[in-house]
Amino acid sequence: MKRVYRDINKALSDEVLQQNLDTFYHNYRESHRKAYEGLNFNDLRKEVGVIKSLKPEDRFALFEEFKNNVEKAGAFVFEAKDSKEACEYIVSVCKRHNAEYVVKSKSMTAEEIKLNPYLERNGIKPIETDLGEWIIQLAKETPSHMIMPAIHKNRKQVAKLFREHLNVDVDEDDIEGMVKIARHYLREYYFKAKVGISGANVAVVETGTIGIVTNEGNGRLVTTIPPVHIVVLGYEKLVKTFEDALKILRVLPKNATGQIISVYVTWIKGAVESLNSSSGKKELHFVFVDNGRKALMDNPYFNEALKCIRCGSCANVCPVYGVLGGHVFGHIYTGPIGAILTSFYHDDKKAMELLSLCCGCKACSEICPANIDIQKLISDIYGGLRFKYGVDKLRSSVYSGVLSKPSAMKRIAKVGSLILKTVEKNSHLNSCLMPKKHDFRVLPVPKEESFSSLFRKKFEALQTTVKSEKTVFFYPGCAIEYVYPEIGESVVKFLNKIGLRVKIPEKMVCCGYPAVHDGDKISAKRIINESVKYLPVEESFDYFLVLCPTCGTTLKYLFREFVSDTPREYKKVKFVEEKIVNLSRLLDDLNVKVKTKNGILFTYHIPCHQNRGLHFNGEKFLKSLLPNYYMPMRDADRCCGFGGSFSIDYPQVSKAILDKKIENIVDTNASVVVTECPGCIMQIRGGLLKRNIPVEVKHLSEFLDEYVEVE
Amino acid sequence: MNDIDRFLKMSEYVGNRNVVLARDEFERFLEENVGSYDFVHLKCLDRFNKVCEIQKEGIKSAIVEADFAIAETGTVVIESKGENLRRATSLCDNLSVVVDASRIVPNLEGIADFLRETTQDSENYVSFITGASRTADIEMSLTLGVHGPEEMTVYVLK
Ligand code: SF4
Ligand code: SF4
Repeated sequence: MKRVYRDINKALSDEVLQQNLDTFYHNYRESHRKAYEGLNFNDLRKEVGVIKSLKPEDRFALFEEFKNNVEKAGAFVFEAKDSKEACEYIVSVCKRHNAEYVVKSKSMTAEEIKLNPYLERNGIKPIETDLGEWIIQLAKETPSHMIMPAIHKNRKQVAKLFREHLNVDVDEDDIEGMVKIARHYLREYYFKAKVGISGANVAVVETGTIGIVTNEGNGRLVTTIPPVHIVVLGYEKLVKTFEDALKILRVLPKNATGQIISVYVTWIKGAVESLNSSSGKKELHFVFVDNGRKALMDNPYFNEALKCIRCGSCANVCPVYGVLGGHVFGHIYTGPIGAILTSFYHDDKKAMELLSLCCGCKACSEICPANIDIQKLISDIYGGLRFKYGVDKLRSSVYSGVLSKPSAMKRIAKVGSLILKTVEKNSHLNSCLMPKKHDFRVLPVPKEESFSSLFRKKFEALQTTVKSEKTVFFYPGCAIEYVYPEIGESVVKFLNKIGLRVKIPEKMVCCGYPAVHDGDKISAKRIINESVKYLPVEESFDYFLVLCPTCGTTLKYLFREFVSDTPREYKKVKFVEEKIVNLSRLLDDLNVKVKTKNGILFTYHIPCHQNRGLHFNGEKFLKSLLPNYYMPMRDADRCCGFGGSFSIDYPQVSKAILDKKIENIVDTNASVVVTECPGCIMQIRGGLLKRNIPVEVKHLSEFLDEYVEVE
Repeated sequence: MNDIDRFLKMSEYVGNRNVVLARDEFERFLEENVGSYDFVHLKCLDRFNKVCEIQKEGIKSAIVEADFAIAETGTVVIESKGENLRRATSLCDNLSVVVDASRIVPNLEGIADFLRETTQDSENYVSFITGASRTADIEMSLTLGVHGPEEMTVYVLK
């Protein structure tokens, strides 16, 4: 078995990890919401994004100014071209001071250059003073989260570590007692250490001052007691003014832990007084780590990633991180941004593995306080690496040869439908064909007749009789065209009922998302160019309706990229973009009122790409539609684990994410889950069936067609 | 809500004990209680000041004056160029901070000028402190006093 699958299985069966990640996810979401009460998060993060977006030449100029300012204040500045140079410099400083111990406060850059093992090889003992980091150090592990490095451990495990390493008696339920032990033990080392090493959260150029954020206060002690202080940092920490720095500090703790501000923010300028130094002054060093940063600085992807303020929140909300933790979904930098940084600072193979674990839900992009579209970066870089190492030939031929050709697609759907029907009738065949790990959901069978063909037969003629000013151009997407034509039928019926005329594309061509997500840009371009041919022209429609928000998001944001070199197509796409709506958005716009036919209780699962792609959260609308029958679902906007090919590549992970969704569904006591994405329907319905849970899953269009009357 | 109330609310939110006093009331309070502090560093009432050597054992309690406070976050801002002052606020079990109500700025940006001035021409060390030292590194359970103070009290002088 590939190592990654082994690691995945290990993480999924680690009960402590699962429990801790779950608690963390919930506490975090709630405290994040509270921390931003009364503030406009989007405005704040846009500002931070601007502060952190610097042109390479500006960044270099800022560095020179910073260097000049700190040198004037008695500090030394060293530029290390790689990890080795950085570590060598630090060791030479330590040796000059005969340091047996150094105390460290958390620094991701120090992790990046693998400083601790280097120090140890040189006979210097680094002591991590952040409690979480220290626990990890005792356990000889690496941090599994940027802010909560020991999030994968519980109190019993910590107690055991303390007992083994410190020779103390520990009550394994007494967290406070363990914290006291840490306080006592670590206090010694601040005074024993000759050197303190820290990172910096911001480096303010205007006066040459760094800002360090901690909650424990270890940062203050590390930078105060030892006579020498070494700051390890990257060029991305530079900001022009204190105002800029303070804006970052406003969002950093809120996003990191849901705190309004961290307990300590420490501002250090130059070589301050030091009681333990023979000169009476602190010896202060800045080690700027290049590690490829300078060469990459004008790379748009890298420059975007440099905006990161290391809050860790992209991991906090990531459904994949939420079941795997940072030892599997991370390398040195953990979580979504970790996958990206690995591609810059570490090796391609590891990066590909991490990037491929993303299911594309966009939760990270929505939470990032530096306004980085993390998911887009992941997808783009993954595409680049897939191209470099050769995309999967079989898949590529499916994308290029089938998805871009409606006739081939139809033929294959028909054959597939026949095969699967035979399989369905002979259940023993089903379990032979379906490898065990994929057998966590019942998959639907493609229909013999496509939606388009049904539409032409049953509905097209009727459209001329609908007396309406408004026309809805309905793009069915592959799932409805071949697998769920009944969803398409239901929407046509409902729209006609409320007096809207419906048109569909002359030929239904895939939106290309499967190829985009899989990093196959060439196939994606081919499919999208074909698809654009059948998009409607300007005057012919009022709304462009999608029942699959993934198609909608692809059309709205990605099509233009792939046709940017053909101006006419570009214009056509731009026009369509403006008119794209999902169903709840359309009905909300039209102010449609309904009443229930049979009093059935329902809940609503918010599809990722609708909420975070098309930016319409249907929850409010559904609730207002039938307030007495709507049952709110916990984490309604958390991914269901489908993610297209993700659920095929990583079925175990997909299942683990789905399990959480199903738990939340069952808790609502609703009889129907309404949603607006065929992918979610496939995943959730399949999962409920497999588990014999008698809850129906309906697309909003089916729900409206079957369970309500228009008022 | 005015800046003083907002400051008090946010300071309370992080678990601080807050006391609002008139200056003469505070002076009387000090006269009676100054003996209970190991370390006193006040600019407004420097006749009470007291220094002591602070080593790894730490000290029981310190009372110091803040240069500013930030209403938005409930933070006190202390210029701590001298290491003894830094040690006192980092290594005491109970930290008390005094701030004059007129020194409360509404938001984080309001403190930028002070940071600029104090770090413009010379070396310096400025601390923002918002509550007692805390960790949640074991099972996300909030625990106070991991390295620094276990308790914090703020006196706002009107
Ligand atoms: S898009 Fe979703 S799955 Fe992918 S990294 Fe971001 S949060 Fe995780
Ligand atoms: S990428 Fe954004 S969300 Fe993730 S750690 Fe960086 S700043 Fe935080």
